[in-house]
Amino acid sequence: MLFWALSWLTNHTETSMSFIDAQHQQQLLNYGRQAETILRQDGEAALAVWLRALQQKENTWAAVVRSKITPFADTSLPENYLERFQLGRSVEWKIHLYFEENPTMEIPFSDASSHLLIQLPQRMRPGAFLLYAKLFLQIALPLILLCILSFVLYQHVMAPLRKLENATKAFSEGKLDVRVAPYLPHRNDELTRLAETFDHMAQRISMLIYNQRQLLADLSHELRTPLTRIDMAVDFVEQNINPKQALERLRYEASTMRNLVEDTLTLAWLNNESPRLNTDDFDLVELLEVICEDARFEYPNCMLTTDLPANAEITKSSQTALGQAFENIVRNALRYTPATREVNVSLTQSDKCYTLTVRDQGPGVPQDMLSDIFKPFFRVDKARVSDKALTQSAPPSGFGLGLALAQRQIAAIGGNISAQNYFASDGALLGLEMVIRLGR
Amino acid sequence: MSARILIIEDDIVLGAQVARLLEERGFNTEQCRDGQSGLQCALQKRFDLILLDVLLPTLNGFSILNKIRSVKQTPIMMITACGAEQERIEGYRKGADDYLPKPFNFTEMMLRVEAILRRSLHTLQSNTHTSTLSADRLLLNRAKQQVFFADCLVELTPLQFRLLWVLVENRSDIMSKAFLYQTVLDRAFSRYDRSLDMHVSRVRKKLVEAGMPPERLLTMHGKGYQFS
Repeated sequence: MLFWALSWLTNHTETSMSFIDAQHQQQLLNYGRQAETILRQDGEAALAVWLRALQQKENTWAAVVRSKITPFADTSLPENYLERFQLGRSVEWKIHLYFEENPTMEIPFSDASSHLLIQLPQRMRPGAFLLYAKLFLQIALPLILLCILSFVLYQHVMAPLRKLENATKAFSEGKLDVRVAPYLPHRNDELTRLAETFDHMAQRISMLIYNQRQLLADLSHELRTPLTRIDMAVDFVEQNINPKQALERLRYEASTMRNLVEDTLTLAWLNNESPRLNTDDFDLVELLEVICEDARFEYPNCMLTTDLPANAEITKSSQTALGQAFENIVRNALRYTPATREVNVSLTQSDKCYTLTVRDQGPGVPQDMLSDIFKPFFRVDKARVSDKALTQSAPPSGFGLGLALAQRQIAAIGGNISAQNYFASDGALLGLEMVIRLGR
Repeated sequence: MSARILIIEDDIVLGAQVARLLEERGFNTEQCRDGQSGLQCALQKRFDLILLDVLLPTLNGFSILNKIRSVKQTPIMMITACGAEQERIEGYRKGADDYLPKPFNFTEMMLRVEAILRRSLHTLQSNTHTSTLSADRLLLNRAKQQVFFADCLVELTPLQFRLLWVLVENRSDIMSKAFLYQTVLDRAFSRYDRSLDMHVSRVRKKLVEAGMPPERLLTMHGKGYQFS
């Protein structure tokens, strides 16, 4: 498109520069008229003198000729041809500038057969600036246009790339909340996609780093309690105060710490690797029954009822992951349900998935904390310590890792888990309900 | 003849403690402090069990495992501070018989050591085994892999048969889960692995269907299983 425009412009310029200047045209025409007048009034000799002077003045040759056209061999010429017959070029015509020699101009006399012929004087030759014009149009102008275009394109591409570079540098130096996409409005191309991908990655990495830091801080904090108790128990043993009990306390706290470390390691592994655990095929009902049996033994005062089908085959899952998760959930349910009340486990199936529901009859969880309970080291009673409404003494609730692990383990086998309070028909709170969905 | 155990562990204190505890139980022990000497010792002398740490100077525990396995079938229990599931799985796949993550408590370690030793001794003496077992109305025929309760045939898979056999053979003894995992399932016991429990539950269900009272196959919580 650009080339066509340039070519057109060049041609047009060349064309417009090929005409003889109007002033000069008029001068030539005047010469013609002068010549004719002198011839008619003063005769041929005077014309000769004038012609000589003219040639001298303009430094070119000039002549006055008479023409007579005689068709022969039985041919004839059309009328309009004879009317317009010329030997030289008319002054209003274009000059072919690619000829070095100046053309012969003609100014005809009023009788169509006499002509003043004069070679165009050099000073009247148009296109003095043609060379420069050509140079400008064909080289300079495109060059300039191209430069402008390149510059614009460069800025268009480099500006977002520069922003991306700055953002990457800032991110690698620790500013984890830097993002690029909001700074690139008004465009929708590969670079915006790059910016979005960068933001996505930044988001994910900063979440990971944040979670790791949090986990580490929480773990260190959690270890302090059993460590303090161990210190105390060691003091007791040293001073021989109730050494047997102190030793039991030592054994207990050591086991607590061991469990804490192992659970945290597993959690960190699940978080970092996000593995898909899909090697086991087993009967879900059998697993649930076995775990419920153990749970009944551990909490003999509560009733644990089950509504399970005869069997429920599940494939590409993990028996240890699901077992541990389910165990944690059932233990939680039993822990929070007061004695003589009931915890119910039920399994329903559809074409695509199994739905496992564990309902307890405990105090439930405040609505705004329902998703927080799956965070590592989160404990409802710790969060509610300032809440005066907590009149019943909640039993000790472990580290707060059980549900966090359960959620990740269930995610690793391709399922999901959610918690909600459930109510009686009159709106009274009955307890907490955990729902696990698993693909078959 | 007491069993000989090789301990390859670079933590001097821990190695000495483990050796002391094992010797008090009547085992003969030998200790090596780094991978290279441990490997040489394992290959040159005969041991019934090797306790192998993963993070060792001079030679990594997993490569020692590979080298020993290419020559001998000595049972190997790996001990390590890296307890995450991935390392565990890798350990099993490369031929370790058990995997004990640090920190461990010594009772548990003893249990698993005994389980492995019992299993390997078991296989050594397998020719002298009887081919039928009976306990009241329960009859097990090893040659035909058949189980009858009160003359009623009970269908069991080979694994379930083996489990029942071990329990009935050691009637009135409590069989620890660690031991049962080693002998019946041929693998190490991990705390959340419920496969053994599920098998026991199935076997019990089938026997109850045939008329056996369920209390004969007892679950001793925290300890193991017992057939009475």
